[in-house]
Amino acid sequence: MIGFDLTINLSLGITLFAIIAMFFAPLKLKSNLAAFSIQINAALYSWLCFPALYGNVVEYSLNAGNFMGNIPLRIDALSAWFIIIISFTTLTGVIYGGGYLKAYQSTKPELNLHWILFILFQLSMIWVCMLQHGLAFLIAWEIMSLSSMMLVIFEHNNSKTIKAGINYMVQMHIGVVLLTVGFIWVYFQTGSFDFNALHTFFNGNSNIWLFLIFFLGFGFKAGFIPLHTWLPHAHPAAPSHVSGVMSGVIVKLGIYGIFRIITFLKTDFLLLGEIIVSVSVITGLYGILNAAVHRDFKRMLAYCTIENIGIIGIGIGIGMMGLGNNNPMLYYLGFGGALLHVLNHSLFKSLLFYSAGSVYQQTHTRNMERLGGLIKTMPKTAIIFLIGAIAIGGIPPFNGFVSEFIIYSGLLEGMKSCSLNQLSLLILTFAGLSVIGGISILAFTKAFGTIFLGTEREKLVHKPVEVSLRMLFPQYLIIAVMLTVSFFPQIYLKAISNILVYNDIHNFQHYGFNHSVSIISNISIYSFAFIIIIAIIWGIRLWVTKRKTLKYDATWGCGYVGVIPKAQYSGKSFSKPLSKILSFIIIEKKKYNEIKSGEIFPNERKYASNYHDFFEFFFIKTLSKRLIYSTNYFKFIQNGRIQSYVIYGVVFVVIIFIITALKII
Amino acid sequence: MLSFILILIAAAFFTGIIIRTKSIFSGRKGPGILQPVKDVIRLFRKGAVYSQTTSFVFQIAPSIYFASVFMAMLVVPFGQYKGLISFNGDFIFFAYILALGKFFSIISAMDTGSSFEGMGASREALYSMLAEPAFFILMGSLALLTGHLSFQEIFATLHIGSYITYALAILATFVILMIAMIENSRMPIDDPKTHLELTMIHEVMILDNSGFDLGLILTAGYLKFAVYGALIVNLFVGVIPYEYTIPMFFIIQFLVAVAIGTIESFMARFRMGHNAQFIFALTSVSLLIFFGALLILGKFI
Repeated sequence: MIGFDLTINLSLGITLFAIIAMFFAPLKLKSNLAAFSIQINAALYSWLCFPALYGNVVEYSLNAGNFMGNIPLRIDALSAWFIIIISFTTLTGVIYGGGYLKAYQSTKPELNLHWILFILFQLSMIWVCMLQHGLAFLIAWEIMSLSSMMLVIFEHNNSKTIKAGINYMVQMHIGVVLLTVGFIWVYFQTGSFDFNALHTFFNGNSNIWLFLIFFLGFGFKAGFIPLHTWLPHAHPAAPSHVSGVMSGVIVKLGIYGIFRIITFLKTDFLLLGEIIVSVSVITGLYGILNAAVHRDFKRMLAYCTIENIGIIGIGIGIGMMGLGNNNPMLYYLGFGGALLHVLNHSLFKSLLFYSAGSVYQQTHTRNMERLGGLIKTMPKTAIIFLIGAIAIGGIPPFNGFVSEFIIYSGLLEGMKSCSLNQLSLLILTFAGLSVIGGISILAFTKAFGTIFLGTEREKLVHKPVEVSLRMLFPQYLIIAVMLTVSFFPQIYLKAISNILVYNDIHNFQHYGFNHSVSIISNISIYSFAFIIIIAIIWGIRLWVTKRKTLKYDATWGCGYVGVIPKAQYSGKSFSKPLSKILSFIIIEKKKYNEIKSGEIFPNERKYASNYHDFFEFFFIKTLSKRLIYSTNYFKFIQNGRIQSYVIYGVVFVVIIFIITALKII
Repeated sequence: MLSFILILIAAAFFTGIIIRTKSIFSGRKGPGILQPVKDVIRLFRKGAVYSQTTSFVFQIAPSIYFASVFMAMLVVPFGQYKGLISFNGDFIFFAYILALGKFFSIISAMDTGSSFEGMGASREALYSMLAEPAFFILMGSLALLTGHLSFQEIFATLHIGSYITYALAILATFVILMIAMIENSRMPIDDPKTHLELTMIHEVMILDNSGFDLGLILTAGYLKFAVYGALIVNLFVGVIPYEYTIPMFFIIQFLVAVAIGTIESFMARFRMGHNAQFIFALTSVSLLIFFGALLILGKFI
C-alpha cells in the first residue's frame, strides 16, 4: 500500500503539473488534461479511502512551520465516505463538463481558469475532509468556497450570474465567520486548533452553544432554511457540470462538518437532535414546495437539493435522539440513513443536473414553459432524467427509496421508546416525510412532463439533438452506481455500519442494524421482483396487442380540433392548485395592467408572474435593505481617491504605533 | 397467499356491487355484478388507437401502473396470515410502490399533450399528495400502539389487550375508506360519471387510453378497491381463525362496496377548491387515532 505522505506528494505534484500544463495545452485537450488530473487524484485518494472505510485509519502529520505547527491529517471511515463521494462526483463532472463546454472553446482564458479552478476545487474538497486542524481546515474550506464561486461565474458577462456569485460569496463568508468564531472559541478554552481539542472543550463546557454556532456555520453550506437563499441563485447561474458537483457534493460538506462535530459531542444530544429534526422537516417541506412551483428547471433542482438536505437532516436528528435516548437502533438507522442519503443524493442530483444541462445546452433556455416534446429529439436524456426523477422521489425500485426507507424505519423504531413530546415530533416528522415524497412526485412529474412530454411549445432557433456520448457516458456511469445501491444495498450499508461503529461514542452493538440490513436487502429483491412483474405484464401486452389493429391519430381534443401546442397544460398551471393552497408561504408576484373601465379598444398587454422565496423576500431582503441604509452614512470613506486611502493607511500605522508604544496592547 | 386469492375474488365483484347499489338507489335495474369484468375482457380483445403526440412513456405507463397495484396487493396480509411479501415497514413499501404507479399514470397523461389530461394529472398529483400524511400517521399510530412494524403483525396484535382498539379501528376505517375514494377518484372527490372533462380527475387522465391499456388501468382500479377493502377487513379480524374470517372478509368487502355506492348515490361532488380541505381534514382524523393510541398506551399522565 502506498503511504499517506507519498500519496499527498504525488497528488500535489500531478495537480501542479496539470495546472502549469493547462496554459500550454491545445484547446481541445484542456478538458482532458483536467480530467486526467482529477482522475489521478480521485484514484489516489480512493486508494487510501477503501481501507479506511473498513477501519484502517490513515494518519499523517504535516509540518507547517512555526505558526501552524503540526497539522494532523487523518482519513477515518467518515472522511473516507465523503472523499469517495467527492471523487466520484467530480470525476463524472469533469467528463461531462468537457462535452458541455465544447461550445465555449473560443474563450481561451476563461477555459484555462475554469479547468484550473475545477482541479483546485476537487482537491480542496478532499482536503477539507482530511484536515483535522481548525485553521488549516478553514483555509481549505475557503479555497473550496472561492474556487466554486469562480466556477459559478463562468458566464460572467451576464449580470445575473455575477450577482448570484457575489450572493454566494457573501453568504459563504458569513458561514466562515461563524466557523472561525467556533474554532477560536475552542482555541481560547483549550489552547489548540487540533480537532481533538473539541473533545476537551465539550467535556468541560456546555455543548449547546458551540454546536449551534458550528451548525449555523455549516448550515450555510448545507442550505438549511433560512440559510439556503444562495442555492436557488447560484445553482442556475453555474454551468451544469459545476451545479451538479456543487449540489452533489459541496452542500454535503456542510453535512460532513455537522457529522464531524457530532462525533465530538458529549451531552445534550436530545435537545440538539430535536432542534435538528424540527429544522430539517421544515427545510424539506419548504424546499420541495418551492421546487414544485418554480419553472426554471435548474432553480427547481436547486430547491430540491434543499429538500434532500432536509431529509438528510432528519436522519442526523433522529440519530442524535438515538444517542440521547441510548437507543442503538435509532442511532444506526438515523445516521445510517443520513449517510446513505448523502451518497444517493450526490448520485441522482448530479444526474439530474447533468441531464438538465444537456437540455439547456441544446435549447438555451432554462424556462420549462418554452420546452416540450423533447423526448422525441433527445430520448436518451429524457430517460436519464426520468430515472433521476423517480429516484429522487424516493420511489422503488431506485436507490432513493433505500435511504428514505431507512430513515422511515428509524422514525418508527424511535416511536417505540420515547417520551410524549418526542413521540409527537416523530409522528409529525413521519407525516412530513410522506408529504415531502408526495410533493416531490408532483414537482418531478411536472418537470418531466413539461420539458420532455407533449409537443414543443415554442419553435426553438436550433433544433435540439441528442447530446454527445461524452456527456451521456458519465450519466450512464451514475445510473450504474445508483442501480448497485438499489439492488445491493448491503455493500454500502456494511461500509456505513463501519463508519458508525468507528464514530460510536456509546459503543453500541450493531446487531439490530444487521437485522435492518437484511430487511433492506430483501426489499431490493422485491424491487427486482417488481421489475420482473412489469416485464411480464409488458410481455403479455406485446403478445396480445401484436395481432390487434393499432391506429395512430391526433390526441382526443374533446371534440375540439383546432388544438395548438401553446394550449397544452403548462408547468405553472400544473402546480397552481398547490401554490394556491399554500399561498401564504409561496409568494406569487404578478405584474400586469388591468383593463380600465373606459378602455374600449384595449391594446396588447403583458402579464408576468413570478414566485419569490419567502425567507429571502421577508427576512434577507429587509435585513440587507436596513444594512445598506445604515452603511450609506459611511460611504464617504470609500470615495475613490487614492490620496485619502493613503491617509487612512498612515493614520492606521500611526495609531498602531502609538498603541504599542504606550503598551496598551 | 390467502389474502392474494381473496382480494382477486373480491376485486371481481367490488365495482359491480357499487354500480348495482347505485342503480338500485336510482330506481333502475342495473347491469349484472360481473359486468365490469366483462367490460375489461372485451377491452383486452380490442385493438387500440394511440395519439401521435405520445411516446413510449404512454405505452409503458399502464403496465407499470397495473404492476404497482399488483405489487401492493402482494403486501396486504389477511389477519394473522401474512401476505406474500411481509417485512418490517412493509406499509411504507406499499405506499411508495403505489406512488410509482401514480407517477407513471401522471406522466402518461401529460404525454398526450392535451390540456384536459394535464389538468387531471395535476389534480391527481395534488390530491394523492394530500392524502399521504393521513395514511402514514394512521399506520404510524397503529405501529406505535402495537409495537410492531409490519402490516401482518400490526393487524394480528391490534386487538389483543383492550377492546377500545375497536373504536380506533372504526376511525381508521373511515380514513382508509376515504383514502380509497381519493385513490380511486370516487364521489366526494371526483365523479367518475361526469360528462364534462373540465371537472374530471381520473377519468380525464385516461381519455386517450384504449384497448388493452385501458383494460389494464380499469383492472388496476378494481384491484385497488379490493386492496383497500382488505385493509379495512384487516382492521377487524385480528387473530380470529379463518373459518370465520373468510365469510367476514366478503361481508365487509360487500358492506364497503355498498357504502361507496350509497355515498355516490346521495352525495354531490365537492367543489374542486374544497377538495384539498376535505382531504387534509383526514389527516386530523388520523391524528385523533394517534391521540387514541397515546391514551391507550398511557402516555398522557
